[in-house]
Amino acid sequence: MPGDRPNFMVGGALEYGARTGIWNILELLDKLNVKATFMICGITAQKYPESIKAAHAAGHEIAGMSFGFDRVRTMSFERERSVVTQTIKALGDVCGVQIKGWRCPDYRVSDQTLDVLREQGLTWDSSLLNDDYPCLFQCETGSLIEIPFTTSTADKTFIGYPYPQRGGPQALFDVWNSEYEFLYGEAAQSSRYMMLSLQTWAVGRPAPLQALGQFIKRAKRDNDTQFTRCSEIAEWCSNRVAKRN
Amino acid sequence: MWTELARPKPGRWPAGVRLPIIVSVHHQSEEAAVEFDDGRADPFDYSERQYGGRRGAWRLLDVMTKHNILGTWIVCGATLEKYPAISREARKLKHSFGGHTYAHEMMCNYPPEEELGLIRKTVSVFEDVLGERLRGWRTCFASHHTIDLLLEHFSFEWDASLWNDDLPYMIEGHGNKLLEIPFSQYGDAALAIQITNPAPVNPFCTWHTNTPSFIANALRAQFNALYERGANRPVLMPLSVHDFIFGRPSRAKVLDEFIAFAKEHEGVVFTTHDEVRSWCLKNYA
Repeated sequence: MPGDRPNFMVGGALEYGARTGIWNILELLDKLNVKATFMICGITAQKYPESIKAAHAAGHEIAGMSFGFDRVRTMSFERERSVVTQTIKALGDVCGVQIKGWRCPDYRVSDQTLDVLREQGLTWDSSLLNDDYPCLFQCETGSLIEIPFTTSTADKTFIGYPYPQRGGPQALFDVWNSEYEFLYGEAAQSSRYMMLSLQTWAVGRPAPLQALGQFIKRAKRDNDTQFTRCSEIAEWCSNRVAKRN
Repeated sequence: MWTELARPKPGRWPAGVRLPIIVSVHHQSEEAAVEFDDGRADPFDYSERQYGGRRGAWRLLDVMTKHNILGTWIVCGATLEKYPAISREARKLKHSFGGHTYAHEMMCNYPPEEELGLIRKTVSVFEDVLGERLRGWRTCFASHHTIDLLLEHFSFEWDASLWNDDLPYMIEGHGNKLLEIPFSQYGDAALAIQITNPAPVNPFCTWHTNTPSFIANALRAQFNALYERGANRPVLMPLSVHDFIFGRPSRAKVLDEFIAFAKEHEGVVFTTHDEVRSWCLKNYA
């Protein structure tokens, strides 16, 4: 960004996500009967409660992504805890949900992030990018499942202003399908999951939304592929851990 | 100081080899993660890169094994210490190895005595962990001293740090000889992504990324041009891939398909720096 002041044009491009993009995405997921995980800032839920209520009512998982896009990397424990509690309260107030999971908005955890989340009763986090498998972290007050994701297939990587769009209208289907087909092949040997991370302001626009629809339909052609939510992945993992112990 | 020996004419690969391709896997995992001003690694960049050591390197080895090909593993000393199992496995399968500095130090920023110490440290890690004398070297961002240090203080057989030619050439200095096997920017660090380091941390929390089909097209264009040239003169295709870039599923698929595509062509051989050196020595005999 030129300078470091808020920029009304880019602000507007992001605002698209909350005003319109999320509704477009909800409509598509509903049509294709896919349940997803929505990672939401507390302040976004307060400003746009209707779409968050609609997502919850449609059976999507509501998870936290800080209160006001807070960057926690250098925060004190107390301050980071207040970000988490504020977010839990804001999402709970809007749609009556007790969130179970979290993603740091800038994917930059502090040394204490997982401890804070576990202390506040969350069961999973998805802020790391370093593995194909979920991992179990032992925190001060119990265990937490980490479900790593990747930005290599994130929509904004290919269509996020101010970078040039890469690969044209077919880019998103191309990268998702590549990821999917390779993982599907590996899944014959051992368990795999694919985390598709999307931004309401990016994939919520009509053209990329079509690519998302195309990809979901393609993945659904395989009978043994299942669309699921993060908390279900976390539950499968905890059950396996419980069985092992 | 060192000098270059005249390349004998005509250089020839062994009979039946029209286009040798060297896949070199840069196995550096999180070593080059960008740092914030407080000196601590950027957790996002660190985590994306750490994927390389934890999973990406294994996936690349799987792809190469599936096609029954060998390559060269370009490994940082620190990465070898943190993830010894993958290098041991690659060694068992007879891949070549090259050292890639200790913790991905950009050598152009280091005075010669420090660079020497870092090369020594890396060489000794290979001896300790793999029980192997390191035969090859690819530095990170060569300094003006790199080649002299390699010739004067070590017995490397090849270096692959420079980008200045299509074909290997022999250099001589400090009473020693070294085969330079240059590589090019047609690797994943330019085709697939623009990494954040040394560029500043970007506010969008992703690396600038090209699509798999863009990368595949670029690799095929490079292959086609070299294959055509290879009809009447020697050519070499270096293909560098990083554990944390091409080790991601969507890009491993590109490598998988590229290897299959290349192997359909007569005279294409996937090889290693060690083997290319043995071919070249015959040319200089």
